[in-house]
Amino acid sequence: MSAFRLSKTEDEFALTGEEQAQPLELEAYTPEEPENMDSFQVELFLPETNPEQPAASPQIEFEGMPVPRYQVSLDDGRNVYFQHAHTLLESLEAQGVEPQYQCREGYCGSCRVQLIDGEVYYYEEPMAWVNNNEILTCCCIPKSDLKIKL
Amino acid sequence: MSHTYTTFNRRQFDTLAQPMFFGEPVNVARYDIQKHKIFESLIEKQLSFFWRPEEVDLTNDRKDFQDLPEHEKHIFLSNLKYQTLLDSVQGRSPNVAFLPVVSLPELETWIETWAFSETIHSRSYTHIMRNVVPNPGEIFDDIVQNEYITRRAVSVTEYYDSFISLTNYYQQLGEGTHTINGEKVEVSLRELKRLLYLTMVSVNVLEGIRFYVSFACSFAFAERAKMEGNAKIIKLIARDEALHLTSTQHILQIMAKGKDDPEMGIIAEQCKEDTIKIFADAAQQEKEWAQYLFKDGSMIGLNQEILSQYVEYITNQRITAIGFEPLFAVKSNPLPWINSWLNSDNVQVAPQETEITSYLVGAIDSEINTDDLGDFTL
Repeated sequence: MSAFRLSKTEDEFALTGEEQAQPLELEAYTPEEPENMDSFQVELFLPETNPEQPAASPQIEFEGMPVPRYQVSLDDGRNVYFQHAHTLLESLEAQGVEPQYQCREGYCGSCRVQLIDGEVYYYEEPMAWVNNNEILTCCCIPKSDLKIKL
Repeated sequence: MSHTYTTFNRRQFDTLAQPMFFGEPVNVARYDIQKHKIFESLIEKQLSFFWRPEEVDLTNDRKDFQDLPEHEKHIFLSNLKYQTLLDSVQGRSPNVAFLPVVSLPELETWIETWAFSETIHSRSYTHIMRNVVPNPGEIFDDIVQNEYITRRAVSVTEYYDSFISLTNYYQQLGEGTHTINGEKVEVSLRELKRLLYLTMVSVNVLEGIRFYVSFACSFAFAERAKMEGNAKIIKLIARDEALHLTSTQHILQIMAKGKDDPEMGIIAEQCKEDTIKIFADAAQQEKEWAQYLFKDGSMIGLNQEILSQYVEYITNQRITAIGFEPLFAVKSNPLPWINSWLNSDNVQVAPQETEITSYLVGAIDSEINTDDLGDFTL
Protein backbone atom coordinates (compact mmCIF):
# COMPACT_ATOMS: atom_id res chain seq x y z
CA MET A 1 0.00 0.00 0.00
CA SER A 2 1.44 3.31 -0.94
CA ALA A 3 0.43 6.81 0.05
CA PHE A 4 0.78 9.76 -2.24
CA ARG A 5 -0.36 13.32 -2.54
CA LEU A 6 -3.15 13.78 -5.07
CA SER A 7 -2.54 17.48 -5.47
CA LYS A 8 0.57 17.69 -7.56
CA THR A 9 0.15 21.33 -8.41
CA GLU A 10 -1.94 24.07 -6.84
CA ASP A 11 -4.15 24.68 -9.82
CA GLU A 12 -5.58 21.17 -9.84
CA PHE A 13 -7.92 22.27 -7.09
CA ALA A 14 -10.36 24.76 -8.38
CA LEU A 15 -13.48 24.78 -6.27
CA THR A 16 -14.74 28.21 -7.09
CA GLY A 17 -13.14 28.67 -10.47
CA GLU A 18 -10.23 30.39 -8.80
CA GLU A 19 -6.89 29.00 -7.82
CA GLN A 20 -6.46 27.87 -4.26
CA ALA A 21 -4.22 30.20 -2.32
CA GLN A 22 -2.90 27.31 -0.29
CA PRO A 23 -2.51 23.76 -1.58
CA LEU A 24 -4.99 21.47 0.13
CA GLU A 25 -3.53 18.82 2.35
CA LEU A 26 -5.34 15.82 0.96
CA GLU A 27 -3.99 12.34 1.09
CA ALA A 28 -5.42 9.17 -0.34
CA TYR A 29 -4.45 5.56 -0.14
CA THR A 30 -4.75 3.21 -3.09
CA PRO A 31 -3.38 -0.30 -3.59
CA GLU A 32 -1.34 0.80 -6.58
CA GLU A 33 -0.10 4.06 -7.91
CA PRO A 34 -1.95 5.00 -11.12
CA GLU A 35 0.20 4.86 -14.22
CA ASN A 36 -0.38 8.34 -15.49
CA MET A 37 -0.52 10.82 -12.62
CA ASP A 38 -0.80 13.85 -14.91
CA SER A 39 -4.27 12.99 -16.10
CA PHE A 40 -5.53 12.16 -12.62
CA GLN A 41 -8.46 14.37 -11.67
CA VAL A 42 -9.71 15.16 -8.25
CA GLU A 43 -13.09 16.45 -7.33
CA LEU A 44 -13.98 17.62 -3.88
CA PHE A 45 -17.60 17.61 -2.74
CA LEU A 46 -18.44 19.90 0.10
CA PRO A 47 -21.15 18.64 2.41
CA GLU A 48 -24.42 20.36 1.70
CA THR A 49 -27.77 19.79 3.31
CA ASN A 50 -30.21 18.53 0.79
CA PRO A 51 -33.69 17.87 2.09
CA GLU A 52 -34.25 15.25 -0.59
CA GLN A 53 -31.21 13.29 0.61
CA PRO A 54 -32.68 10.88 3.15
CA ALA A 55 -29.63 10.84 5.35
CA ALA A 56 -29.46 14.60 5.71
CA SER A 57 -33.06 15.09 6.59
CA PRO A 58 -35.03 12.07 7.65
CA GLN A 59 -38.66 11.97 6.72
CA ILE A 60 -41.10 12.66 9.52
CA GLU A 61 -43.23 9.62 10.11
CA PHE A 62 -46.92 10.11 10.47
CA GLU A 63 -48.95 7.57 12.29
CA GLY A 64 -51.23 5.51 10.13
CA MET A 65 -49.71 6.81 6.93
CA PRO A 66 -47.22 5.07 4.65
CA VAL A 67 -44.00 6.97 3.93
CA PRO A 68 -44.95 9.02 0.89
CA ARG A 69 -43.15 8.96 -2.43
CA TYR A 70 -45.13 10.82 -4.99
CA GLN A 71 -44.60 12.42 -8.33
CA VAL A 72 -45.17 16.16 -8.42
CA SER A 73 -45.75 17.50 -11.92
CA LEU A 74 -45.55 21.20 -12.60
CA ASP A 75 -47.67 22.89 -15.24
CA ASP A 76 -44.52 23.88 -17.15
CA GLY A 77 -43.72 20.22 -17.82
CA ARG A 78 -41.15 19.64 -15.08
CA ASN A 79 -41.51 16.54 -12.94
CA VAL A 80 -40.05 16.05 -9.47
CA TYR A 81 -40.45 13.47 -6.75
CA PHE A 82 -41.45 14.07 -3.20
CA GLN A 83 -39.95 11.42 -0.95
CA HIS A 84 -37.85 12.59 1.96
CA ALA A 85 -38.44 16.27 2.60
CA HIS A 86 -40.34 17.72 5.53
CA THR A 87 -42.54 19.83 3.34
CA LEU A 88 -43.51 20.08 -0.29
CA LEU A 89 -41.76 23.47 -0.39
CA GLU A 90 -38.45 21.96 0.77
CA SER A 91 -38.78 19.16 -1.72
CA LEU A 92 -39.38 21.54 -4.62
CA GLU A 93 -36.44 23.73 -3.59
CA ALA A 94 -34.12 20.74 -3.29
CA GLN A 95 -34.93 19.77 -6.84
CA GLY A 96 -34.24 23.10 -8.42
CA VAL A 97 -37.78 24.44 -8.61
CA GLU A 98 -37.85 27.92 -7.15
CA PRO A 99 -41.23 28.39 -5.53
CA GLN A 100 -42.11 31.58 -3.66
CA TYR A 101 -41.97 31.62 0.09
CA GLN A 102 -41.82 34.00 3.00
CA CYS A 103 -42.73 32.90 6.50
CA ARG A 104 -42.53 29.10 5.94
CA GLU A 105 -44.98 28.70 8.80
CA GLY A 106 -48.29 28.90 6.99
CA TYR A 107 -49.37 32.37 8.02
CA CYS A 108 -48.25 34.63 5.17
CA GLY A 109 -49.57 32.74 2.15
CA SER A 110 -46.62 33.55 -0.13
CA CYS A 111 -46.10 29.91 -1.07
CA ARG A 112 -49.67 29.54 -2.31
CA VAL A 113 -49.82 27.43 -5.50
CA GLN A 114 -52.68 26.08 -7.56
CA LEU A 115 -53.47 22.43 -7.05
CA ILE A 116 -54.68 21.04 -10.36
CA ASP A 117 -54.80 17.40 -9.35
CA GLY A 118 -54.06 15.33 -6.27
CA GLU A 119 -54.39 15.63 -2.51
CA VAL A 120 -52.16 16.99 0.24
CA TYR A 121 -51.93 16.54 3.98
CA TYR A 122 -51.38 19.58 6.21
CA TYR A 123 -49.30 18.71 9.23
CA GLU A 124 -50.12 22.16 10.55
CA GLU A 125 -53.38 23.98 9.90
CA PRO A 126 -52.42 26.92 7.64
CA MET A 127 -53.46 30.35 8.89
CA ALA A 128 -53.26 32.11 5.54
CA TRP A 129 -56.35 32.19 3.39
CA VAL A 130 -56.37 29.23 1.01
CA ASN A 131 -58.95 28.87 -1.74
CA ASN A 132 -60.38 25.46 -2.61
CA ASN A 133 -58.06 24.92 -5.56
CA GLU A 134 -54.94 26.17 -3.77
CA ILE A 135 -52.38 24.74 -1.35
CA LEU A 136 -49.63 26.20 0.82
CA THR A 137 -46.47 24.30 0.00
CA CYS A 138 -44.69 25.31 3.23
CA CYS A 139 -46.86 23.23 5.53
CA CYS A 140 -48.11 20.27 3.53
CA ILE A 141 -46.91 16.99 2.10
CA PRO A 142 -48.49 15.10 -0.81
CA LYS A 143 -51.02 12.34 -0.17
CA SER A 144 -51.03 11.31 -3.82
CA ASP A 145 -49.28 12.24 -7.05
CA LEU A 146 -49.75 15.96 -7.55
CA LYS A 147 -50.18 18.32 -10.43
CA ILE A 148 -49.55 21.94 -9.46
CA LYS A 149 -49.21 25.34 -11.10
CA LEU A 150 -46.70 27.75 -9.59
CA MET B 1 -80.32 46.18 15.90
CA SER B 2 -80.07 49.73 17.09
CA HIS B 3 -77.61 52.06 15.44
CA THR B 4 -76.25 53.40 18.72
CA TYR B 5 -73.08 52.03 20.26
CA THR B 6 -72.90 50.66 23.75
CA THR B 7 -69.80 49.47 25.56
CA PHE B 8 -71.69 46.56 27.05
CA ASN B 9 -74.67 45.39 25.06
CA ARG B 10 -77.28 44.15 27.55
CA ARG B 11 -79.49 42.50 24.96
CA GLN B 12 -79.43 38.73 24.72
CA PHE B 13 -78.55 37.41 21.29
CA ASP B 14 -76.83 34.53 19.58
CA THR B 15 -73.17 35.52 19.17
CA LEU B 16 -72.62 32.92 16.49
CA ALA B 17 -75.41 34.40 14.37
CA GLN B 18 -73.72 37.80 14.18
CA PRO B 19 -71.85 38.99 11.10
CA MET B 20 -68.29 40.34 11.52
CA PHE B 21 -69.48 43.95 11.36
CA PHE B 22 -72.75 45.86 11.83
CA GLY B 23 -74.46 43.20 13.92
CA GLU B 24 -75.06 43.53 17.66
CA PRO B 25 -72.33 45.44 19.52
CA VAL B 26 -70.18 42.94 21.42
CA ASN B 27 -70.99 42.36 25.07
CA VAL B 28 -69.11 39.52 26.75
CA ALA B 29 -65.51 39.18 25.59
CA ARG B 30 -65.73 35.40 25.41
CA TYR B 31 -63.63 33.07 23.31
CA ASP B 32 -65.15 29.72 24.25
CA ILE B 33 -67.36 29.83 21.20
CA GLN B 34 -66.07 31.34 18.02
CA LYS B 35 -67.68 32.05 14.72
CA HIS B 36 -64.37 32.54 12.88
CA LYS B 37 -61.68 30.76 14.84
CA ILE B 38 -59.00 32.15 12.51
CA PHE B 39 -59.04 35.43 14.45
CA GLU B 40 -58.29 33.60 17.70
CA SER B 41 -55.36 31.86 15.94
CA LEU B 42 -54.13 35.22 14.69
CA ILE B 43 -54.26 36.68 18.20
CA GLU B 44 -52.23 33.78 19.56
CA LYS B 45 -49.69 34.05 16.78
CA GLN B 46 -49.37 37.80 17.21
CA LEU B 47 -48.87 37.42 20.96
CA SER B 48 -46.18 34.81 20.38
CA PHE B 49 -44.41 37.32 18.11
CA PHE B 50 -44.10 39.90 20.87
CA TRP B 51 -40.81 41.77 20.78
CA ARG B 52 -39.35 45.03 22.05
CA PRO B 53 -37.26 47.39 19.91
CA GLU B 54 -34.72 47.85 22.73
CA GLU B 55 -33.73 44.19 22.34
CA VAL B 56 -31.97 45.13 19.12
CA ASP B 57 -28.61 46.81 19.47
CA LEU B 58 -28.08 49.71 17.07
CA THR B 59 -24.65 50.98 18.05
CA ASN B 60 -23.07 49.81 14.79
CA ASP B 61 -25.85 51.40 12.79
CA ARG B 62 -24.88 54.85 14.02
CA LYS B 63 -21.42 54.46 12.56
CA ASP B 64 -22.74 52.85 9.38
CA PHE B 65 -25.14 55.74 8.91
CA GLN B 66 -22.42 58.37 9.28
CA ASP B 67 -20.42 56.61 6.58
CA LEU B 68 -23.29 56.40 4.09
CA PRO B 69 -23.11 58.73 1.08
CA GLU B 70 -25.68 61.55 1.13
CA HIS B 71 -28.06 60.01 -1.40
CA GLU B 72 -28.19 56.79 0.63
CA LYS B 73 -28.87 58.75 3.81
CA HIS B 74 -31.80 60.27 1.94
CA ILE B 75 -33.06 56.78 1.00
CA PHE B 76 -32.72 55.51 4.53
CA LEU B 77 -34.35 58.47 6.27
CA SER B 78 -37.16 58.87 3.73
CA ASN B 79 -38.16 55.25 4.16
CA LEU B 80 -38.08 55.58 7.90
CA LYS B 81 -40.32 58.64 7.69
CA TYR B 82 -42.76 56.86 5.43
CA GLN B 83 -42.91 53.82 7.68
CA THR B 84 -43.44 56.09 10.67
CA LEU B 85 -46.42 57.60 8.87
CA LEU B 86 -47.86 54.19 8.00
CA ASP B 87 -47.54 52.81 11.52
CA SER B 88 -48.83 56.03 13.10
CA VAL B 89 -51.98 55.48 11.04
CA GLN B 90 -52.16 51.76 11.73
CA GLY B 91 -51.52 52.14 15.46
CA ARG B 92 -54.87 53.87 15.89
CA SER B 93 -57.09 53.58 12.84
CA PRO B 94 -58.16 49.92 13.05
CA ASN B 95 -59.36 50.65 16.59
CA VAL B 96 -61.12 53.91 15.79
CA ALA B 97 -62.68 52.70 12.55
CA PHE B 98 -63.57 49.08 13.16
CA LEU B 99 -64.17 48.65 16.90
CA PRO B 100 -67.41 50.71 16.95
CA VAL B 101 -68.99 48.46 14.33
CA VAL B 102 -67.51 45.04 15.12
CA SER B 103 -69.84 42.30 16.30
CA LEU B 104 -67.68 39.29 17.14
CA PRO B 105 -65.56 39.12 20.31
CA GLU B 106 -62.67 37.27 18.68
CA LEU B 107 -62.51 39.79 15.84
CA GLU B 108 -62.75 42.71 18.28
CA THR B 109 -59.78 41.37 20.24
CA TRP B 110 -57.85 40.67 17.07
CA ILE B 111 -58.28 44.29 15.95
CA GLU B 112 -56.99 45.52 19.32
CA THR B 113 -54.05 43.10 19.25
CA TRP B 114 -53.25 44.12 15.68
CA ALA B 115 -53.26 47.85 16.42
CA PHE B 116 -51.18 47.30 19.55
CA SER B 117 -48.46 45.56 17.59
CA GLU B 118 -48.33 48.56 15.24
CA THR B 119 -47.61 50.79 18.23
CA ILE B 120 -44.53 48.66 18.91
CA HIS B 121 -43.42 49.41 15.37
CA SER B 122 -43.87 53.13 15.96
CA ARG B 123 -41.81 52.89 19.12
CA SER B 124 -39.10 51.09 17.22
CA TYR B 125 -38.78 54.01 14.78
CA THR B 126 -38.05 56.32 17.69
CA HIS B 127 -35.50 53.78 18.92
CA ILE B 128 -33.83 53.73 15.51
CA MET B 129 -33.84 57.55 15.13
CA ARG B 130 -32.41 58.10 18.60
CA ASN B 131 -29.55 55.75 17.84
CA VAL B 132 -28.81 56.80 14.31
CA VAL B 133 -29.21 60.56 14.03
CA PRO B 134 -28.16 63.31 16.45
CA ASN B 135 -31.49 65.13 16.26
CA PRO B 136 -34.49 62.80 15.83
CA GLY B 137 -36.91 65.70 16.28
CA GLU B 138 -36.04 67.16 12.89
CA ILE B 139 -36.85 63.88 11.14
CA PHE B 140 -40.20 63.49 12.89
CA ASP B 141 -41.16 67.12 12.24
CA ASP B 142 -40.46 66.66 8.56
CA ILE B 143 -43.10 63.93 8.29
CA VAL B 144 -45.89 66.53 8.36
CA GLN B 145 -43.95 69.09 6.28
CA ASN B 146 -42.36 67.06 3.50
CA GLU B 147 -44.73 67.20 0.52
CA TYR B 148 -43.78 63.74 -0.71
CA ILE B 149 -44.73 62.21 2.63
CA THR B 150 -47.88 64.27 3.17
CA ARG B 151 -49.06 63.38 -0.31
CA ARG B 152 -48.78 59.73 0.71
CA ALA B 153 -50.73 60.40 3.88
CA VAL B 154 -53.80 61.44 1.86
CA SER B 155 -54.13 58.17 -0.03
CA VAL B 156 -53.32 56.11 3.05
CA THR B 157 -56.03 57.71 5.20
CA GLU B 158 -58.85 58.82 2.89
CA TYR B 159 -60.92 55.63 3.17
CA TYR B 160 -60.43 55.38 6.91
CA ASP B 161 -61.49 58.99 7.39
CA SER B 162 -64.63 58.86 5.28
CA PHE B 163 -65.70 55.58 6.88
CA ILE B 164 -65.14 56.92 10.40
CA SER B 165 -67.01 60.11 9.62
CA LEU B 166 -70.06 58.30 8.19
CA THR B 167 -70.05 55.83 11.09
CA ASN B 168 -70.22 58.76 13.50
CA TYR B 169 -73.31 60.16 11.80
CA TYR B 170 -74.88 56.72 11.67
CA GLN B 171 -74.38 56.11 15.37
CA GLN B 172 -75.73 59.51 16.37
CA LEU B 173 -78.58 59.91 13.91
CA GLY B 174 -79.26 56.53 12.27
CA GLU B 175 -80.09 56.01 8.64
CA GLY B 176 -81.73 58.74 6.58
CA THR B 177 -80.99 62.12 5.07
CA HIS B 178 -79.75 64.55 7.68
CA THR B 179 -78.84 68.19 7.52
CA ILE B 180 -75.66 68.80 9.45
CA ASN B 181 -74.25 72.34 9.68
CA GLY B 182 -76.32 73.24 6.65
CA GLU B 183 -75.05 70.32 4.63
CA LYS B 184 -77.10 67.35 3.54
CA VAL B 185 -75.64 64.00 4.56
CA GLU B 186 -77.07 60.74 3.29
CA VAL B 187 -76.58 57.93 5.80
CA SER B 188 -77.39 54.37 4.83
CA LEU B 189 -76.17 51.06 6.13
CA ARG B 190 -75.56 49.97 2.57
CA GLU B 191 -73.18 52.88 1.91
CA LEU B 192 -71.44 52.24 5.25
CA LYS B 193 -70.85 48.63 4.32
CA ARG B 194 -69.52 49.69 0.94
CA LEU B 195 -67.09 52.09 2.59
CA LEU B 196 -66.11 49.42 5.10
CA TYR B 197 -65.23 47.01 2.30
CA LEU B 198 -63.16 49.61 0.45
CA THR B 199 -61.45 50.70 3.67
CA MET B 200 -60.47 47.09 4.29
CA VAL B 201 -59.10 46.88 0.74
CA SER B 202 -57.02 50.01 1.32
CA VAL B 203 -55.72 48.55 4.61
CA ASN B 204 -54.84 45.35 2.76
CA VAL B 205 -52.87 47.46 0.28
CA LEU B 206 -51.19 49.35 3.10
CA GLU B 207 -50.09 46.19 4.91
CA GLY B 208 -49.25 44.21 1.80
CA ILE B 209 -47.80 46.66 -0.72
CA ARG B 210 -46.96 50.05 0.77
CA PHE B 211 -44.55 48.72 3.38
CA TYR B 212 -42.57 46.63 0.95
CA VAL B 213 -40.59 49.33 -0.87
CA SER B 214 -39.05 50.35 2.47
CA PHE B 215 -38.54 46.75 3.48
CA ALA B 216 -36.64 46.11 0.25
CA CYS B 217 -34.32 49.09 0.86
CA SER B 218 -33.63 48.16 4.48
CA PHE B 219 -32.74 44.62 3.48
CA ALA B 220 -30.63 45.84 0.55
CA PHE B 221 -28.54 47.88 3.03
CA ALA B 222 -28.13 44.83 5.24
CA GLU B 223 -27.13 42.63 2.29
CA ARG B 224 -24.06 44.88 2.15
CA ALA B 225 -23.63 44.52 5.94
CA LYS B 226 -24.81 48.11 6.50
CA MET B 227 -27.47 49.17 9.00
CA GLU B 228 -27.90 45.60 10.19
CA GLY B 229 -29.58 46.47 13.48
CA ASN B 230 -32.17 48.39 11.54
CA ALA B 231 -32.71 45.39 9.26
CA LYS B 232 -33.26 43.16 12.28
CA ILE B 233 -36.00 45.47 13.50
CA ILE B 234 -37.53 45.69 10.03
CA LYS B 235 -37.49 41.91 9.86
CA LEU B 236 -39.53 41.74 13.05
CA ILE B 237 -41.89 44.38 11.69
CA ALA B 238 -42.23 42.51 8.39
CA ARG B 239 -43.14 39.35 10.27
CA ASP B 240 -45.97 41.19 12.04
CA GLU B 241 -47.16 42.85 8.85
CA ALA B 242 -47.42 39.49 7.09
CA LEU B 243 -49.81 38.40 9.81
CA HIS B 244 -51.85 41.61 9.56
CA LEU B 245 -52.03 41.14 5.82
CA THR B 246 -53.35 37.63 6.30
CA SER B 247 -56.06 38.94 8.61
CA THR B 248 -57.29 41.51 6.09
CA GLN B 249 -57.29 38.80 3.41
CA HIS B 250 -59.48 36.65 5.60
CA ILE B 251 -61.85 39.52 6.35
CA LEU B 252 -62.10 40.47 2.67
CA GLN B 253 -62.67 36.88 1.59
CA ILE B 254 -65.31 36.24 4.26
CA MET B 255 -67.03 39.44 3.14
CA ALA B 256 -66.80 38.59 -0.56
CA LYS B 257 -68.16 35.10 -0.03
CA GLY B 258 -71.18 36.69 1.72
CA LYS B 259 -70.73 34.00 4.34
CA ASP B 260 -71.97 35.87 7.37
CA ASP B 261 -73.60 38.86 5.68
CA PRO B 262 -75.06 38.13 2.22
CA GLU B 263 -75.35 41.87 1.50
CA MET B 264 -71.58 42.20 1.95
CA GLY B 265 -71.07 39.62 -0.81
CA ILE B 266 -73.16 41.70 -3.21
CA ILE B 267 -71.30 44.85 -2.20
CA ALA B 268 -67.92 43.18 -2.75
CA GLU B 269 -69.05 42.13 -6.21
CA GLN B 270 -70.13 45.70 -7.01
CA CYS B 271 -66.84 47.11 -5.66
CA LYS B 272 -64.65 45.07 -7.99
CA GLU B 273 -63.67 47.98 -10.19
CA ASP B 274 -62.97 50.24 -7.22
CA THR B 275 -60.88 47.48 -5.64
CA ILE B 276 -58.74 47.08 -8.74
CA LYS B 277 -58.31 50.84 -8.86
CA ILE B 278 -57.13 50.99 -5.24
CA PHE B 279 -54.47 48.38 -6.02
CA ALA B 280 -53.43 50.02 -9.30
CA ASP B 281 -53.23 53.48 -7.70
CA ALA B 282 -51.17 52.18 -4.80
CA ALA B 283 -48.74 50.45 -7.16
CA GLN B 284 -48.38 53.68 -9.14
CA GLN B 285 -47.81 55.74 -5.97
CA GLU B 286 -45.19 53.29 -4.70
CA LYS B 287 -43.36 53.49 -8.03
CA GLU B 288 -43.38 57.29 -7.77
CA TRP B 289 -42.04 56.94 -4.26
CA ALA B 290 -39.21 54.78 -5.59
CA GLN B 291 -38.45 57.58 -8.03
CA TYR B 292 -38.25 60.08 -5.16
CA LEU B 293 -36.04 57.72 -3.13
CA PHE B 294 -33.51 57.34 -5.93
CA LYS B 295 -33.67 60.94 -7.20
CA ASP B 296 -30.04 61.63 -6.24
CA GLY B 297 -28.72 58.19 -7.12
CA SER B 298 -29.40 54.48 -6.70
CA MET B 299 -28.02 52.28 -4.00
CA ILE B 300 -25.94 49.17 -4.59
CA GLY B 301 -28.24 46.28 -5.41
CA LEU B 302 -31.35 48.38 -5.96
CA ASN B 303 -32.50 50.96 -8.42
CA GLN B 304 -35.77 52.57 -9.39
CA GLU B 305 -36.51 50.14 -12.19
CA ILE B 306 -35.99 46.94 -10.27
CA LEU B 307 -37.90 48.31 -7.29
CA SER B 308 -40.81 49.23 -9.57
CA GLN B 309 -40.82 45.69 -10.92
CA TYR B 310 -40.90 44.44 -7.36
CA VAL B 311 -43.91 46.67 -6.64
CA GLU B 312 -45.68 45.15 -9.65
CA TYR B 313 -44.79 41.66 -8.55
CA ILE B 314 -45.97 42.18 -4.98
CA THR B 315 -49.16 43.88 -6.21
CA ASN B 316 -49.94 40.80 -8.31
CA GLN B 317 -49.36 38.58 -5.29
CA ARG B 318 -51.69 40.61 -3.09
CA ILE B 319 -54.51 41.05 -5.56
CA THR B 320 -54.57 37.40 -6.62
CA ALA B 321 -54.68 36.39 -2.95
CA ILE B 322 -58.10 38.03 -2.65
CA GLY B 323 -59.37 36.36 -5.80
CA PHE B 324 -58.61 38.90 -8.55
CA GLU B 325 -56.66 38.59 -11.77
CA PRO B 326 -53.05 39.87 -11.70
CA LEU B 327 -52.61 43.50 -12.82
CA PHE B 328 -49.11 43.28 -14.26
CA ALA B 329 -47.21 40.97 -16.61
CA VAL B 330 -44.31 40.33 -14.20
CA LYS B 331 -44.28 36.64 -13.22
CA SER B 332 -41.22 36.01 -11.10
CA ASN B 333 -39.82 37.86 -8.12
CA PRO B 334 -37.20 40.38 -9.33
CA LEU B 335 -35.65 40.49 -5.83
CA PRO B 336 -35.57 36.80 -4.82
CA TRP B 337 -33.03 37.42 -2.04
CA ILE B 338 -35.72 39.30 -0.12
CA ASN B 339 -37.50 36.03 0.65
CA SER B 340 -34.81 34.91 3.03
CA TRP B 341 -35.06 38.24 4.88
CA LEU B 342 -38.80 37.93 5.11
CA ASN B 343 -38.56 34.38 6.39
CA SER B 344 -39.36 34.27 10.08
CA ASP B 345 -37.34 31.08 10.58
CA ASN B 346 -34.08 32.93 10.76
CA VAL B 347 -35.28 35.70 13.01
CA GLN B 348 -32.67 35.47 15.74
CA VAL B 349 -34.13 33.21 18.32
CA ALA B 350 -33.81 32.51 21.98
CA PRO B 351 -36.73 30.32 23.01
CA GLN B 352 -37.34 32.24 26.21
CA GLU B 353 -37.78 35.38 24.14
CA THR B 354 -40.88 33.61 22.82
CA GLU B 355 -40.02 34.13 19.20
CA ILE B 356 -40.48 30.46 18.41
CA THR B 357 -44.21 30.08 18.20
CA SER B 358 -44.03 26.49 19.29
CA TYR B 359 -42.36 27.54 22.52
CA LEU B 360 -45.07 28.39 24.99
CA VAL B 361 -44.41 29.88 28.37
CA GLY B 362 -46.02 27.75 31.04
CA ALA B 363 -46.46 24.77 28.76
CA ILE B 364 -45.27 22.13 31.20
CA ASP B 365 -46.03 18.46 31.14
CA SER B 366 -48.27 17.99 34.14
CA GLU B 367 -48.89 14.29 33.58
CA ILE B 368 -47.16 12.10 36.13
CA ASN B 369 -47.60 8.51 37.17
CA THR B 370 -46.10 6.45 39.97
CA ASP B 371 -43.53 4.78 37.67
CA ASP B 372 -41.86 8.14 37.21
CA LEU B 373 -40.99 8.12 40.92
CA GLY B 374 -39.61 4.54 40.83
CA ASP B 375 -35.98 5.47 41.43
CA PHE B 376 -36.79 8.10 43.97
CA THR B 377 -35.68 7.29 47.52
CA LEU B 378 -35.77 9.25 50.72
